[in-house]
Amino acid sequence: MLVTGIGLSGQIKLKSSKVLIVGSGGLGCPSAVYLAAAGVGEITLVDYDEVELSNLHRQILHTEDDLGEPKVQSAYDKLHCINRNIRIIPVNQLLDSNRMKLIMSKTKYDVVIDGSDNVATRYLLNDSCVLNGVPLVSGSALQTEAQLTVFNHQNGPCYRCLFPVPPPPETVTSCGDGGVLGPVPGVIGVLQALEAIKIIVGLNGLLSQRLLLFDGINSTFRNVKLRSRNPNCAVCGDNPTITDLIDYEQFCRASAHDKVGNIDIVDESSNVSVQELFKQLGKKIVIDVRPKVQFEMCHLTHTVNIPFDDIIKADGVLKIQQLINNITVQEVYVICRRGNDSQRTIRFLHDTHQDSMMDLKNVRGGLHAYSQYVDADFPVF
Amino acid sequence: MVKVKLLFFARARELAGRSEDFITIPEKITCVELLEIIVKERSLQEIQNSIILSINEQLYHTDDIVNLREGDEIAVIPPLSGG
Ligand SMILES: [Zn+2]
Repeated sequence: MLVTGIGLSGQIKLKSSKVLIVGSGGLGCPSAVYLAAAGVGEITLVDYDEVELSNLHRQILHTEDDLGEPKVQSAYDKLHCINRNIRIIPVNQLLDSNRMKLIMSKTKYDVVIDGSDNVATRYLLNDSCVLNGVPLVSGSALQTEAQLTVFNHQNGPCYRCLFPVPPPPETVTSCGDGGVLGPVPGVIGVLQALEAIKIIVGLNGLLSQRLLLFDGINSTFRNVKLRSRNPNCAVCGDNPTITDLIDYEQFCRASAHDKVGNIDIVDESSNVSVQELFKQLGKKIVIDVRPKVQFEMCHLTHTVNIPFDDIIKADGVLKIQQLINNITVQEVYVICRRGNDSQRTIRFLHDTHQDSMMDLKNVRGGLHAYSQYVDADFPVF
Repeated sequence: MVKVKLLFFARARELAGRSEDFITIPEKITCVELLEIIVKERSLQEIQNSIILSINEQLYHTDDIVNLREGDEIAVIPPLSGG
């Protein structure tokens, strides 16, 4: 390699290095491309998921021919064509603490790349990297924003130093729900590869003790100076209370993936099925709480659009009350794309309007489930 | 009292309904108090335990005492988890 500061010794370091990339999606794909092309000797890819059409705008290793294939297999095939002189190990598994322990005990990684899509996996990777003394290059993206930093390196902080408490699950939006503009994770995935190369080769200027915020709308990068690790941190502090991996799904009260129904925050008695919804369409009030732009793309007849965002901070609640006052029926169905925002709506209204006569029912699985079980012609995205 | 600029990121931006605005607050304040005020004024209760605050691009911790000046930029940063 001709670049000053890397040279032959740098190339040899890359050749003998081992990198674990968790997630073969919007971050993991671009990251893996550059690391494979740079000649990283061994790359382990972990993902449990299969390629879907809605992935292709950002998960650049997958093509239309790969639909339904395990992502790690699809990624392996392409990376192998980019560089046949390196070892690529696909692991088609959903990561949990036991599997992570096994992976980390078999190989001493130089760097772990976090390209995961959920909070539970982020804490799992963080704790595992701290316990094993491996730097973690952590990237994340949603809609048009992204974040990037290097955790657990050169006395810098870890994820828990910054965020000791996981966010409440009902406040977490996934790319599946909120969407993401393809190049946004692309930019961050490429930068994750850059940070990994710098760590392996031993260059300065790392994003350790710094958090990079990328705003894709304004094309701005902002650097926030962090501090060294927190001595009171539960995992990397001086007297850690976490000395072994824990149950991260329980800790975060959320699943280690970003699939449908990954929150479950309403009483079982408040759930109704899509079949029940179908029978009641036109009879009961059905509120579709998706953003206006999604409602305009497609919606069921006899449903009213009051977006979740309006309910929590604008005049949405008032609109619901007006709607109900006009009709004597008090049972109201709430639906959204996949059944998460509808639960958030019900939870919010329960918490803020306890005296209300509204009997709110969550349509479980949302319009995705409706398309799957009632009307296959109803478009999903 | 000083007028400072607030910058909202990710979920904080959604909840506040804007990406930036201004707020007038006491110039000498602990980080905990600062966070409390911002959370209350901009309805960020649901994420109040998982936010970091930076002032002029420097992270502050809860027990720090802050000396704010007119025009300082306070960024409200929740974690992103998507990929
Ligand atoms: Zn820590």
